[in-house]
Amino acid sequence: MENQPAQQISKRALTLWRIYGVIQVMIVVLLTIGLTVAVFLWNWPWWLLLIALGIILIELIVTIWLIPTLRWKRWRYEVSEQDIDLQYGIFIVTRTLVPMVRVQHVDTEQGPLLRKFRLSTISISTAATIHKIPALDENEAERLRQSISSLARVAEDDV
Amino acid sequence: MFEPRRLHPISAVINFVKTLKDAALPLIIVFVLNGNILSGDVELIPLLIWAGVLILVLGSGIIRWLRFTYRMEEGELRIEHGLIFRKKRYIPIDRIQSLDFSEGIFHRPLNLVKVSVETAGSTGTQGAEAELTAIHRKEADELETLIFQEKHKTNEEGQEVVEDEEEITPPTREKVYGMTMKDIVWMAVTSGGAGVVISGVAVFFSQFMDLIPLGSIYREVLDWIQIGFLVVAFSVFLILLIAYGISIIMTIFRYAYFSVYLDADDLIITRGWLEKKQMTIPLNRIQGIRIDENLIRQPLGYASVTLISAGGSVLKGDEHQLKLLPMIKKREIEGVIQKILSDYQIGSDFKQPPKRSLYRYLIRHAWFGFLAAIPLSIFFFPYGMLSIIAGLFLLVLGWLAYHDAGWKINDHQLTLRSRTIIKQTYVMKKYRIQAASGTQSFFQRRASLSSVRMTLKSGSGGAVAHCYYLEEDDTNQVLDWYRTLNKVKKPAEN
Repeated sequence: MENQPAQQISKRALTLWRIYGVIQVMIVVLLTIGLTVAVFLWNWPWWLLLIALGIILIELIVTIWLIPTLRWKRWRYEVSEQDIDLQYGIFIVTRTLVPMVRVQHVDTEQGPLLRKFRLSTISISTAATIHKIPALDENEAERLRQSISSLARVAEDDV
Repeated sequence: MFEPRRLHPISAVINFVKTLKDAALPLIIVFVLNGNILSGDVELIPLLIWAGVLILVLGSGIIRWLRFTYRMEEGELRIEHGLIFRKKRYIPIDRIQSLDFSEGIFHRPLNLVKVSVETAGSTGTQGAEAELTAIHRKEADELETLIFQEKHKTNEEGQEVVEDEEEITPPTREKVYGMTMKDIVWMAVTSGGAGVVISGVAVFFSQFMDLIPLGSIYREVLDWIQIGFLVVAFSVFLILLIAYGISIIMTIFRYAYFSVYLDADDLIITRGWLEKKQMTIPLNRIQGIRIDENLIRQPLGYASVTLISAGGSVLKGDEHQLKLLPMIKKREIEGVIQKILSDYQIGSDFKQPPKRSLYRYLIRHAWFGFLAAIPLSIFFFPYGMLSIIAGLFLLVLGWLAYHDAGWKINDHQLTLRSRTIIKQTYVMKKYRIQAASGTQSFFQRRASLSSVRMTLKSGSGGAVAHCYYLEEDDTNQVLDWYRTLNKVKKPAEN
C-alpha cells in the first residue's frame, strides 16, 4: 500500500526474535529426544524420527531465519503530530492509522530478554483498541512515549 | 430529597428472589442428588441446611434493605449500604450520564420502578454505577428532575448566575418512533429466539427426568416407543412448535409498546408489557449506527438498526448492543434516522469491490464447507454427500457477500457494508472512528486488492466494521480520508 511509514524498529529486534526462534526449536528438539528414547525402548516405528528431524529442519529455517527477517523488514511506524501510522504482518500486511486525538494512554513494557537487549515494547491504547510496536530501542520507546502522551494531551476530545 | 431515604420494602423480596434465582441450579442439584423425593427416602440433614440457607438469604435481603439509604446532597447522589461492611458511594451529579427505569412484575402493581444510574465509568462488565432496586415512580421522577436541574446549573455556571426562582422544567419528550404491532409480530415470527427456548426446554427436561420415579413409568414408556417412530417424531415436532410459540409470545411481551423518544440531548427507548424497560442514551455517546439485514428478514424487506454507544451497562442486558429500531421496513429507516440523528445519512449507490474479487469471496465463504464435505462424504457414504449441498449454500452466501460489499464516503461520514451471514451496514462519523486499518495479503498485493477495517468504541470494547477485497486505490482513498481527521472539528456539543 502506497508510501510506507518511515521508521523501522531496532535492528536488535532481529537478534531477539532469532533467540525466540531458537527457544522454540529447542522445545521441538527436547520432544524429539523423548521420541528417540521411545523408539529405542518400545520399538516405535523409526520413521517417526525422520518426521521429527524434518520438522526440526523446517523450524530452523522458518522460525530462526525466515520469519524474523520478514517481520523485521515489514515492521514500520511513523508518529506525526496528527496520527500514528503502523505497518506490520508477514503474509498479510496491515496498515493501521491511529489519530492522535483518539489516543487515551501509552505504556512501555520490558521483559527480561527485552531488557537484556535494551529494547522495549510500546502499547498505544485508544478507547476501543490497543496497538503495539514491539522491540523498540529503549531510549526511542521512552522518547516516543513522552511525545505521544504530550501530543495526545494537546489534542483533547471526548470519546 | 435531602434527607436519607429508603427503598420500597418490596426490594427486600426482590433481593431474595434474585439471590434465589442465582442459587436455583445448586438447589435443584441438591434435590436431585438427595434421592427421590416422591418415593419418600429423603435425607433430612442436607434439606435442613438448605432451609437454613434460604432463611439466611431472606434475612440478608431484609437487612440489606434496612441498611440501604440514598439522598441528594451537595450536588451528589449519596448512597450508603452494606450488610456487614458499610459502603458509601457518592456520585457527583454532573458525572451521571443517564437514569434508566425498568419495571418488573413486582414493580407494576405497586407503581414502583427500578432505577439504574449510569456514569461514563460504568462499563458493561460491572453493571450500573448504582441501582435503586425499587422506589415509587413519583420519587423517581423527582430524582430525575433534581438531577436535570443540577446538571443544568453546572452547565450555566461561570456564564451568569441562574435565578433561583425560575423553575427549569425539563423539556417534554417528543416521540420519534413507535413500533407497530404488525412489525412486532413479524419480528417474533422471524426471530431466532426459538433456539434458545428449545435449549431451555431441553435443560429443564434433563433435570426433570431425574426427578420422576422412572421405574414405575418405565413400562409405559416402553409401550410408547413401540407405538413407533412416528409418535416420537410428532411429539418432537410438537415440542418445537410449542417452544416456537413461547418464543413468539415472549418477544411480543418484551417489545410491546416499543417507542423511541427524543428528549433534549437524550434518546429514550421504552418497551415491554409485563416488564417495562426504559433506557436513556445521551446523544453524544452514540458512536455510530449499524443496519442489519438477515437472510430471513431481508427478503421481506425488513432490517434492524442498532446503536453503537460508548458506554453504560445498558449494553449488558439482553442484547450486547442497543436496538434502536428492532424491526423496520428498510425504506422507512431513512425517515426515522433523519428525525433522530439528523447528521447521519443512509446512503445508496455504494462503490463495490471489482470483479476479480468475486472468486476470493467465494473461496472465503465456502472453503471450509467443501473441506468438511470430503471426510463426511467418505465416512458416511451415501448421506454424507448431502454436506455438499451445505457447501453450495455457502457458495451462494459468498456470492451474496461479494454482491453486498461496498463503501461510500460523504463528507465526514463513512458507510461500510459487508456480509458474513447477516448483511451489516455501518454508518460512522470520521471523528468517532478510533482506528483505521488496511490489510493486504501477498496474493492480494499481486491483484492490487486490499481490505479495510474500522474500529468504533462500543461499550467497554470495540465494534469492528470491515469491507474485504476492495480495489487497492479505494482502500487508500478511505485511509486518506481518515487521515485528514484533524482538519475537521467535531460539531459543537454541550
